[in-house]
Amino acid sequence: MMPKLLTGWWHAFTGAGDHSITVPPMDGPLHPNTRLEEASRLAEVELPDNLCVHAGQILFTSGETLLRLPPDGGPASEIARHAAPVTALASDGRRLAVALADGRIVVRDGDAAAPELRLPAAAGAACITAMLFDGDRLLVANGSAQNRMADWKRDLMEKRVSGSLWRLGPDGGAERLAAGLAFPYGLVRRGDGTIICSESWRHRLVAIGERGALRPLVSDLPAYPSRLTPSRKGGYWLTAFAPRTQMVEFMLREKRARLEMIATIEPDYWMAPRHASGRSFREPLQGGGIKQLGILKPWAPTQSYGLVIRLDEAMQPVESFHSRADGTIHGVTSCVEFGLRLYAASKGANCVVALDPPFLMEAAI
Amino acid sequence: MTPVIEFRGVSKSYRGVPAVSDISLTIRGGEVLAVLGENGAGKSTLTKMMAGVVEPTAGEILLDGKPVRLPNPAVALDLGIAMVFQETSLVPSMTVGQNLFLGDEKAFNRLRGVSIASQQFLQSLNFNVDPTALVSTLGVAKKQMVEIARAVRKNVRLIIFDEPTASLTPEEKQHFFALVQRLKESGIAIVFISHALEEALMLADRIMVMRDGEHIVDGPASEFDRDRIIRAMVGRTMTDQLYDQKSTQRPRGRKVLTVENLSLGKIVRNTSFSIYSGQITGMFGLIGSGRTETAKIIAGVIKRNFFHGGTIRLEGRPVRYRVPRAAVNDGIVYVTEDRKVEGFFEQLSITDNLRMGHLASKWSAPWVVKPSEILPIAEHWRKALHIRAINGDTHVVELSGGNQQKVVIAKGLLQKPKLVIFDEPTRGVDVGAIAEIHALIKQLADDGLAVIVISSYLPEILNLSDRILVFRQGRVVEEFLPDQADEETIMYASVH
Repeated sequence: MMPKLLTGWWHAFTGAGDHSITVPPMDGPLHPNTRLEEASRLAEVELPDNLCVHAGQILFTSGETLLRLPPDGGPASEIARHAAPVTALASDGRRLAVALADGRIVVRDGDAAAPELRLPAAAGAACITAMLFDGDRLLVANGSAQNRMADWKRDLMEKRVSGSLWRLGPDGGAERLAAGLAFPYGLVRRGDGTIICSESWRHRLVAIGERGALRPLVSDLPAYPSRLTPSRKGGYWLTAFAPRTQMVEFMLREKRARLEMIATIEPDYWMAPRHASGRSFREPLQGGGIKQLGILKPWAPTQSYGLVIRLDEAMQPVESFHSRADGTIHGVTSCVEFGLRLYAASKGANCVVALDPPFLMEAAI
Repeated sequence: MTPVIEFRGVSKSYRGVPAVSDISLTIRGGEVLAVLGENGAGKSTLTKMMAGVVEPTAGEILLDGKPVRLPNPAVALDLGIAMVFQETSLVPSMTVGQNLFLGDEKAFNRLRGVSIASQQFLQSLNFNVDPTALVSTLGVAKKQMVEIARAVRKNVRLIIFDEPTASLTPEEKQHFFALVQRLKESGIAIVFISHALEEALMLADRIMVMRDGEHIVDGPASEFDRDRIIRAMVGRTMTDQLYDQKSTQRPRGRKVLTVENLSLGKIVRNTSFSIYSGQITGMFGLIGSGRTETAKIIAGVIKRNFFHGGTIRLEGRPVRYRVPRAAVNDGIVYVTEDRKVEGFFEQLSITDNLRMGHLASKWSAPWVVKPSEILPIAEHWRKALHIRAINGDTHVVELSGGNQQKVVIAKGLLQKPKLVIFDEPTRGVDVGAIAEIHALIKQLADDGLAVIVISSYLPEILNLSDRILVFRQGRVVEEFLPDQADEETIMYASVH
């Protein structure tokens, strides 16, 4: 105990270990490019999210509305409107689960609506971030026990580690699979049946093992990971909704400054990750982010970014699609593969974009 | 015009083994002669005889048509012959200015006066070196500049340069070429040894090629091209083998090393990058761009900033080495750019040098390595790396540059590393050995090791690397895949 405490103090003094204000580089497979920025813009809707393929259609949400996206463009059409904003969608091809911000989960089986599900009270605040069908049961990731989905920024700046993973039966029975997750945001099942979860605040992907044991597969990502989705051609897609920056890492280590910021400043202007930046002069700005002659350098430090990563079978990054500091397709929270294209929802640009990854083309040939 | 210096049938043998046989040549004032040849061809011995470092065992040396004896460098210097050595002969504990005026001191010296005079002299040569800096604090390139400046200051008639540009940046090389031009115009004869054949072709009036201690060919530079020189040097054409055959890019393996916001004073500034197994990562940058210092921090040779110096993760685990041994134990090996100072013990044998490497590894008992244990290991590496010597008892100082470099590499490789950092692996190495060292580096990557190659020579970077990181002002500023990059693009990134 004592050595650990001493080590902690030493690290706090020298700025090492957990107290190092460092972020990993975007290089190798994460080398910046403009491929996401150059993607075709399809539907322009406010805060699109939760892309999924259901019954041969691409669905996504915007606030309380469930929408259908024509794969080749054209305006999105409304399918349903709910009483509360939709926070997650899941489909197994036949059934569609819709999680709402008020904590309800509506499961539709064809046209028939099944009874509504809810997370047990032990899960805390309803912050359903991702769902996954597991036979007749449903895996549900609850991002935080204290904050709702809309308060994700507060959850990060309060350094909460209260996310959990639940398995809900059709009868409403709930079993907790894992706890102590730092904002689980994405779920996917690997070929061997292992459940993989993205932990946003710990910037990693973990395999959920027996009795909630967590096994990191990818650690120290340079961005905050969000949704995971499988690729038809092997591997997975991972979206990351904001980059890690030294300034935010610094705030996360400075407790008093952070608490004062939370107490006195509106969340929109916090020194924190965001889905879009540069929209207000009141946003905090780092020196390198100042526009020169009206131009923002692509490598300027930014609190928002657009990033979609292709992972291999072992969940290791293989390639990536970026929208950089001078771009707009930021805050990508979900993506889905349909046909030979990859669709990504950008909350920063309020649109859904379509990418044509050569990988899918090659695989098709 | 009377030749400044003339050799007539000059030979030099060491213990009966001929190093130079029956050489005859003349050098005139205002002429630039490039002496080329593989390591061990006898170039250094020839020039050392000119500079009075060694005396010939047979033949005659004539200066201004009169036979002379050059028993030591002081006599040669008095007669107007100076040599700029590959390994600098400066006094590390003295300032640059003091080194420039060494031997010419007045009875009462003011350090300030020496510094001012040195500053003016260095500026006249376009050399950006602080005259008040201690030589021990200078990098290899700057030491080389001081060495050149010292020779120029002596008002000599013949200057011999041994690999003068090996450690200079492209810009510094341009300064050097301009300097040679000025010296030439003022009637000074220049002899230079170089492995950079393009430089010889560009700079020299006359080219002389040696092989196995013999004078193979000699003629105006305009009659030579790269292939002809190489053919004369090694008896075969090697251009294609060296830099024109790019192997297919290796796939990226697992991430072995992550460097996050690494900082060391003003030399390494908040730099970040990753290194993957099964690949060769080339690091290019001008001298002073922080690439060597970054590599040395990774390998525990120097320490990063104590406060907020950044993070280095080896296979995901944060590491901070205070001595290289800990890094070696974790599988990180650094093959130094300055092999003569940091790479080996020159008065020890090949086997004893490898024994030192073995002692540093965790695979050996911490304090004792039995000869019976090390002999087979040393023999294995000597054969595996084709270190050309009579046997393992040969002193490293007696080996050619290429073979010395192989000893340094073998010392590192017997640590069973997972990350090998080669800093200027082929500096001062002959063409034949370059091909062998390149093949070895490629083989290491093919075997799944993570390999970093730091080089100032762009064709080498382009030829070897599966991925190229460009350093500028202490940080990685650009990353290229070899098919995206050419020399111009990389150089642009390293300068702008």
